[in-house]
Amino acid sequence: MDTSALATAGGPGTGLPGDGQEAAARGRRRALDPAVVVALVLSVAFVLIAIVWPVLAVIGAALTDGAIPIFQRYLSPPQNQILVNTVVLGVVVATVGTAIAFLFAFVQVRVPANRWLKRVLHVIALLPIVSPPFALAIAAISLFGRSGMITRDLLGMRVDIYGLPGLTLVMSLSFFPVAYVSLMGLMRALDPALDEAAANLGSSKLRIFRTVTVPLLLPGLASGFLLLFVEALADLGNPLVLGGNFTVLSSRLYIAIIGQYDMLTGSVLAVLLLVPSLIVYFVHRYYAERASVVSVTGKPTGRPSEVSGRPARAMLLGAACLVAGLIVLLYGTIVVGSFTKLLGVDHTLTLRNYEAVLFGYGTKAVTDTTLLAGLATPLAGLLGVVIAFLVIRGRFPGRGALDFGTMLGVAVPGTIFGIGYLLVFNVPVQIAGFTIIPKLTGGAALLGGALAILLVYILRSAPGGLRAGAASLQQIDPSIEEASISLGADQATTFRKVVLPLIRPAFLSGLIYSFARSMTAISAVIFLTTPQIRIMTQQILNETDAARYGNAYAYCVILILIVLAAIGILSVLVGSSTRAERTSGVNVGASR
Amino acid sequence: MSAGTLRLERVTKVFQTPEGRDVVAVDDVTLELPPGSFVTLLGPSGCGKTTTLRMIAGFETPTRGRILLDERDIARLTPDKRGMGMVFQSYALFPHLSVFENVAYGVRLRGVRGRDLDQRVEAALALVNLHGLARRRPSELSGGQQQRVALARAMAIEPRVLLFDEPLSNLDAKLRVSLRSEIRRIQQQLGTTSVYVTHDQSEAMALSDIVVVMNAGRVEQAGSPSEVYRRPRSRFVADFIGSADFLDGPVLGVTPEGLDVSLFGVTVRVAAGDGHRVGDAATVVVRPESVRVGDGPIRALVRGSTFLGSLVEYELMVGDQVFGALDPDWMSRGLHVPGEEVPVSLIGSKLYALPPDVRSDTAAHASDTTEVAAD
Ligand SMILES: Nc1ncnc2c1ncn2[C@@H]1O[C@H](COP(=O)(O)OP(=O)(O)OP(=O)(O)O)[C@@H](O)[C@H]1O
Ligand SMILES: [Mg+2]
Repeated sequence: MDTSALATAGGPGTGLPGDGQEAAARGRRRALDPAVVVALVLSVAFVLIAIVWPVLAVIGAALTDGAIPIFQRYLSPPQNQILVNTVVLGVVVATVGTAIAFLFAFVQVRVPANRWLKRVLHVIALLPIVSPPFALAIAAISLFGRSGMITRDLLGMRVDIYGLPGLTLVMSLSFFPVAYVSLMGLMRALDPALDEAAANLGSSKLRIFRTVTVPLLLPGLASGFLLLFVEALADLGNPLVLGGNFTVLSSRLYIAIIGQYDMLTGSVLAVLLLVPSLIVYFVHRYYAERASVVSVTGKPTGRPSEVSGRPARAMLLGAACLVAGLIVLLYGTIVVGSFTKLLGVDHTLTLRNYEAVLFGYGTKAVTDTTLLAGLATPLAGLLGVVIAFLVIRGRFPGRGALDFGTMLGVAVPGTIFGIGYLLVFNVPVQIAGFTIIPKLTGGAALLGGALAILLVYILRSAPGGLRAGAASLQQIDPSIEEASISLGADQATTFRKVVLPLIRPAFLSGLIYSFARSMTAISAVIFLTTPQIRIMTQQILNETDAARYGNAYAYCVILILIVLAAIGILSVLVGSSTRAERTSGVNVGASR
Repeated sequence: MSAGTLRLERVTKVFQTPEGRDVVAVDDVTLELPPGSFVTLLGPSGCGKTTTLRMIAGFETPTRGRILLDERDIARLTPDKRGMGMVFQSYALFPHLSVFENVAYGVRLRGVRGRDLDQRVEAALALVNLHGLARRRPSELSGGQQQRVALARAMAIEPRVLLFDEPLSNLDAKLRVSLRSEIRRIQQQLGTTSVYVTHDQSEAMALSDIVVVMNAGRVEQAGSPSEVYRRPRSRFVADFIGSADFLDGPVLGVTPEGLDVSLFGVTVRVAAGDGHRVGDAATVVVRPESVRVGDGPIRALVRGSTFLGSLVEYELMVGDQVFGALDPDWMSRGLHVPGEEVPVSLIGSKLYALPPDVRSDTAAHASDTTEVAAD
């Protein structure tokens, strides 16, 4: 049996097209694995068509003569207030969010406390990842709004949570978890020997913190800050729910497109939003890479030195518990509210909300969203790791561009993809009279616009898979793949049998991230929903607008439950990460 | 299974650095590997050994030149179609698979299943003396055991050519010696054509049928270990293999048995390559064992001595020339101390005059190399 295999191996050229004269004439072309070519072509096509083109279309639309007065209007008083608001919101949310993230990470790594308390704090800190970003905003209105249960009923105050204060509160709490996870990873990776060296040289605890710990974490803190800034800039859901008169670029842009059908103004605002987002995002990436380099001083030995002073401990733990309590209060409100007729007004317990959402007019949104996100998840996860593989292991020119193009999927605010898709795919794309891509958005779109939403889900999630996959591939000795190839496995087999199992933890976290991100996405898809396709996040927004908070809460709870269930199912399907890590013997964990 | 004939024809590899500079890693290499031969690529770090091996395996594409397996150009074959087993410096075992599954990996890809598969894997594991470890994970093995698994895995596919990239360099000295004789035994047993990269000259000597000495991307010399040691083609080869000093002297006569060269005023008949003419200057390779210490017509100053037990190594100076010498007979004659003058003689039959043409060639080449390094 194997002799035939050897005969093939020993008979070079047999069955290969283009062997002989023609091949010799073409010169020293590298023998390419067909699977790699296919993967490359598909990835590049996706990045160009689904990501780059819509963004360029928006820029193109804003670079027309008619756009100049609009630029002028939004760059000079009084309309430049929107720009100012946007930047102020970004800076404030990023500052508060990074501080919370640092507090939580520091408590986990450096503050001695009950193990269970720490676990509970950790889980609470991760909650916002699996819920729609503006779920907290709705709860905040119920609790702290004009007729808030706490502010008005309990304290008798007349405060207005709408605007900057409310947005700061809910956006910091919604966005800090990502920075928290990465900061915690960095802190764990810091070599305790550095602290010990400083102490050995005579530094006091506080001095070590100031002169060693913080400087080493600075790139990580900077990267977290910048990431939160971009997220705050891009967010649409919270400003719509809780913005009030505090208009920011994304909410103004939404009104321009959906309320006024003014694509030109929309595009101009999109470009105003795009420029700072892109700059800050890629500065963030720079710091993120620096941070991971800094932390790798070798294998950390010993335990990180812990905060021993009682007052300091109590203060740190107290602060973390306070924030955690606030998060729990907000989520508790969502859960209670979902079983209540109208929170703050009529506290009769009811299942009506769930009935409406699950078996009434909400059914379609639940199934549509779950289906599309479920479809997008494996596609985005696979696309992400395939591109990671091409970028890290490939040796073709333009790898950097492929990486960059894919990362645009998260660097560019979702609203801009929304407009871009409307600009590009609202008519069939034709070449020489042939329809290459049918109409994907608006009325009479292919599959009611489902394909456009699917593409957006994929492009927003693939970058997560790319980064996780790339980080974990970089830890794997390339000879392992070469060994597989030299044993006779082609690239596709090697990818399936060697690469994927080795990066399984990263792949799994990529899938989970993908699904959670798709389920909770709003800023791009809100432009793409049609009467035929309903999306849960948009329904939540509608219900909130109509002050049907009960339904909105029920949607939120169901959405969170679906995400949690998916995490469970994925973990079982892909295999638990702990097992993969233990058995692999190499450090393939990228997502810690 | 049959052993393959491998031929490299004027193979050149130019890398482009990220800054856009060209690095000539392999420069016009021509080699012929007869079936069943064990060939080592030997040379200092960065001389292009790994690159040559990787081009044979298919992981790099030659910039120019052809690689032929059994007279067929394999340029257009992807590495997985080449049927070459490779053993890596880092072992490169699949960490998520057991020892058995590691070895079975390539065999399965050839369509072998069931009992045949078990037998093939067991035979391969038996060949490398690994019994009873089939269920373990690579992380549960010692370095030596891991490298044995890697060897078994590469051999289990019954490759036409076996490739080794410094497979022993991560192991301790003792294990290296025992494993290298095992590699040689297995290779002879199977008769697989093998290419073995190392920068350890004793490893190369011990293992090979043919040693290929490389320098700055070029083949300096290819030949049997004894030939490369006895008749080095260039200063570089003589220096790299064993230790050598070089003495220059005028050629007084050319005879079929060798050259008559005047060294320190004494005429010595030395073995030599072709091409010497009377009156030319010859460069003579002096190895420590070709100097007899204790009697002879040359008076040398002892500059240093190292006591090695059975031998004493001296550093000697005559005029301004410094060379090393070994004294195996120190017990009967006693030790010499630095500052002492001792009579020495050069043993003509153990000397070798470098071929003249290669000498100038090497000089030109040497400047070539510095250019590459400098730019
Ligand atoms: N991918 C690459 N890009 C650029 N230059 C390279 C690349 N691979 C190797 N080189 C260069 O080619 C030369 C030869 O490298 P090679 O790895 O073949 O050396 P080697 O003889 O195996 O050395 P060592 O004994 O240190 O392993 C070196 O100068 C190296 O820097
Ligand atoms: Mg090497």
